[in-house]
Amino acid sequence: MSESKSEKISSLVDNYRATTEDSSYVEQAIDDMISNDDLSSLWQRYHLIGDAIRDELPSSLQLDLSAQISEAIEAEPTVLSPKTSIQDTVNNASSENKFKAKILTFIKPFGQVAIAASAAGLMIVSVQQNYADNDNVIPSQVVQTTPLAGFANPVSFNYQEPNRQLQQKAILKQKMAKQHRFQTLLADHQQQVKLNTSIKPIELSNSVEKSDIINK
Amino acid sequence: MKLLTSFLLLISVSFSAISVENTQAKLLLEQLSNSLRQLNFSTSFVVVKNNQAEPYHWIHGVSKENIELEILALLNGPRRDILRKGNTVSYIEPKSPAYSVTSNYLSSPIPSILSGNISNLEENYHFVSVGRSRILGRAAQLVRIVAKDTHRFDYWLWLDQTTGLLLKLAVITRQGQLLEQIQFTHLEVSDTLSENLLNLQSAELPKVMDMKSVEQLTDLSWKVNWLPHGFKKVNANRHQVNNNKKSVEFILFNDGLVNISVSIGNSKERQRAMEYANDGATLVLNEVKNNIEISVVGKIPPETARQILTSITFINKPKP
Repeated sequence: MSESKSEKISSLVDNYRATTEDSSYVEQAIDDMISNDDLSSLWQRYHLIGDAIRDELPSSLQLDLSAQISEAIEAEPTVLSPKTSIQDTVNNASSENKFKAKILTFIKPFGQVAIAASAAGLMIVSVQQNYADNDNVIPSQVVQTTPLAGFANPVSFNYQEPNRQLQQKAILKQKMAKQHRFQTLLADHQQQVKLNTSIKPIELSNSVEKSDIINK
Repeated sequence: MKLLTSFLLLISVSFSAISVENTQAKLLLEQLSNSLRQLNFSTSFVVVKNNQAEPYHWIHGVSKENIELEILALLNGPRRDILRKGNTVSYIEPKSPAYSVTSNYLSSPIPSILSGNISNLEENYHFVSVGRSRILGRAAQLVRIVAKDTHRFDYWLWLDQTTGLLLKLAVITRQGQLLEQIQFTHLEVSDTLSENLLNLQSAELPKVMDMKSVEQLTDLSWKVNWLPHGFKKVNANRHQVNNNKKSVEFILFNDGLVNISVSIGNSKERQRAMEYANDGATLVLNEVKNNIEISVVGKIPPETARQILTSITFINKPKP
């Protein structure tokens, strides 16, 4: 198992994606994971680690639910494939993420860390970034592990999924369109302010000329 | 009678106290304006809004030929740099070619008036010197720029006592709610120009954009009938919005400190209820009525934006 692959899985678990890469990167990583048992157990382990760090481990811990789930699925003929369901959830989360990336213009810290002070600034940002990421991760965590802890019936849980997902997608799409509209208006406002700063010196000609005279 | 005299006495005392504070505050602001134009400084600041922080690096200096040099760079995400050499300001932004405009201000998170003529603000704002505190490890003087009416926000400025430069800035509602703040994280004043500015001095900036090519509008088919006192029209044009290539009719208003833009364009939707969003102190208000989309954007309270939007009347239907 290559290191870059496990790194990809790790960033998927964290719901983090470099801005330059597109969704094919995520799809590739997920495909890899589905076809490779080692990678999928890695995915499982990373989530477990994450849960432990956030102190969200269920009281009765059953480490390998997936085997039980697939058994249950085999016994149940009319069920939806869990493979697509997982993929959809992840895609859903990633599209939300993509949208976030548009809003937060600064996902990846830039290389200029020479100045101690700006480093302090970066720290604030990265701390907040982590915080925001956690927020993102938690809902998908809840969907994938917590309700299944030992007793819940995974089949009926999956059965409700499509409808709810469609609804969520519609809501998300609406929200995105709205946010996009506001972003556009805001960007246009800022652009026009930039272009029209040239008008200001005329209004303020008194002070400008005065300071010019002082300078000369 | 005695009560009345003492009351009058009290009033006169408090009034004179205010006026003393006013002049002191104005002096501090003028010192800030001079320092921003005349000192060689290198500084970093973080804009905190919406639970997010944007770090910037800002360098300013005056060359031997008395030309002001200035660089403002956003440190996170794609490169966004603003360079200024005298009266030419260049904007380097992702996704669009670099361009320059003729101006002696750069449009940054810090209101440009602070390096301009402070007296221009007196019509709509009071200046109040409040007290001292410690900011960025320095002794700082807090000056409030308080709006005279309820239609705009207050600005609180913490100014360095030795250099007069800005150490912190906060945008605050009348109710005292903090909307947006700029915290400086580093400040260095020197006698010589920094290396970056020397490089800028010899660099060639992108060509200045020909602003005449933008269609200026003199007779609009619509009118903004209400604005808070003191807002003046800075520009009216028809332009294409970069993101969606829609054509809009646009007016920019300014009261010295705050910019408000009003834009009107056609919409595919027939009706959409009034919606607003906040980006720190900046409000975006938007509505579709009879296939016409009206938007108001600016650092103003929601109620002000709503009043501006509802005051708009059409003389004729706007042309597409």
